[in-house]
Amino acid sequence: MQYISFVIGQLVRNAKHGWTAQIMTLFTIMLSVLIFSFFLLIYTNMQKASSRLGNELRLIVYLEDAVPVNFRTEFQKKITDFEEVEDIIFVSQEDAFGRLKKQLGKDNDVLDGLDASFLPYSVEIYPNKNLKSLARIKAFSDYLGGLPGATKVQYGQEWIERFGYFISLLRIIVILSGALLILTSVFMVSYTIRLTLESRQEELEILRFLGATDSYIRGPVIIEGFLLGLLGTISGLAALLFLYQWVKIRFSGPGFMNLFEFSFLPGSTLLIIFTMSLLLCTSGSMISIRKYLKL
Amino acid sequence: MNDTHPSSPLIDIVKVSKVYPPNIMALDNISLTINRGEMLFLTGASGAGKSTLLKMLCFLEYPTKGLIEQDGKDVSRLSAINLQFMRQQIGVAYQDFKLLPKHTVYQNIALAMEVRYENPVKIKKRVMALLNDLALSDKIHTPTNKLSRGEQQRVCLARACANKPALLLADEPTGNLDADSTAKVMKLLAKLHEAGTTLLIATHDEKIYQNTGHRIINIANGKLQESQS
Ligand SMILES: Nc1ncnc2c1ncn2[C@@H]1O[C@H](COP(=O)(O)OP(=O)(O)OP(=O)(O)O)[C@@H](O)[C@H]1O
Ligand SMILES: [Mg+2]
Repeated sequence: MQYISFVIGQLVRNAKHGWTAQIMTLFTIMLSVLIFSFFLLIYTNMQKASSRLGNELRLIVYLEDAVPVNFRTEFQKKITDFEEVEDIIFVSQEDAFGRLKKQLGKDNDVLDGLDASFLPYSVEIYPNKNLKSLARIKAFSDYLGGLPGATKVQYGQEWIERFGYFISLLRIIVILSGALLILTSVFMVSYTIRLTLESRQEELEILRFLGATDSYIRGPVIIEGFLLGLLGTISGLAALLFLYQWVKIRFSGPGFMNLFEFSFLPGSTLLIIFTMSLLLCTSGSMISIRKYLKL
Repeated sequence: MNDTHPSSPLIDIVKVSKVYPPNIMALDNISLTINRGEMLFLTGASGAGKSTLLKMLCFLEYPTKGLIEQDGKDVSRLSAINLQFMRQQIGVAYQDFKLLPKHTVYQNIALAMEVRYENPVKIKKRVMALLNDLALSDKIHTPTNKLSRGEQQRVCLARACANKPALLLADEPTGNLDADSTAKVMKLLAKLHEAGTTLLIATHDEKIYQNTGHRIINIANGKLQESQS
């Protein structure tokens, strides 16, 4: 109990001394937590979206001519020889026409007087869910393109490719901002603590003469680093939540965001960020006190 | 520092020399034994080596040659933890006070007890009593750099006495004081002596040791001469 009241007293004294440096440190920790968790938030959402897109992946093979009914099993076998699939649907000209009509809705009168013959025959292939890698999708599509009668294969390749690059770019950004978080919290905290210790040098010397133990001197300093980390991390994550809410309200309604079902970081991830940041800040203060304990 | 070996001396100084660089011989081959509960005065001209001897007993300096044993332990070979523990048991009134200038009188005195994690209520009671004994109660919240030398000296002594230490080293505790304050200081020291504290007091002030019956050690040119008042 005495120790706690003493520590609080020390902290207040230190805060009076070096509050500018402490505010700066808090702000820096907050900002780097915010930057890191922001990119992580985008990254996790993009990844979720990508796996959802993966689930909806289908390859469309356009054909010169309809596959006769008695050849269909053979055609299916050729496909499944290469990749496992969930479903194969043969789309006739009439089917395609019907779909188009439905898509156009009340504007479907533009199709009046036309018949289905201008539309191509096609086969829609829904691959197995574990077909995720871009390279395998490409290989599959090349194979399908080589089937007899195939004219073209479509699966939104450009879109998927760009999405893939974007995600790997994001991954790099997340890693870099994580490194930034580590550097800033360790350096800033140990810098502030060093300032505090330097301003207390005379006091530390006298404490030594009075027989103060290492833990007596170390305690308040480490707690200072811990508190800086605690406050900085909490405010950083709070800022992220705020930003997230703002983005959600701003971009709500039908459109871009709906595709992604933008969601916040899960509790476990938040807890990991929180713990890591606290550990880093505390070790930052331990680094700078080590030197001073050899008084 | 407690009475684990009541018969053994508290401090045993054996053939100790202290040479400051480049080659100032502050103490020259001295030997001295101080028993538990003794009150002992150290006299000698300025520069004789009184402070040097006291500094070695609170581990601010170490002997160049010879052996100092305190409570049966060789002071040159104390582990860090032992050193901290021993320092907590020794009260020192430094000649240069070593007070924290921006901290208040109260904070300065309380610090000596805080490093021992004493109960705040106990600390408060003790500090109040000491300030009362030394007529400093009205300065309790004054930063020590706003005090006169004589007041600073008494704060320094109060801090040294705060823990009712087993050993008290006082370097010129009455150097800046008038007769009235000197009497108060000596009364406080006598009280500690009665309670069992071992006291070693360096002083130029004959009045405080004349006719007390305590041992007096005189240092001249780094050598000891003993007498009785
Ligand atoms: N840190 C030091 N470095 C070099 N010489 C020192 C140091 N401290 C003390 N001395 C020298 O050692 C000698 C003894 O000094 P000391 O301070 O012990 O004297 P003293 O008896 O306490 O004197 P005073 O009565 O003036 O306080 C002096 O000649 C002094 O100049
Ligand atoms: Mg001296």
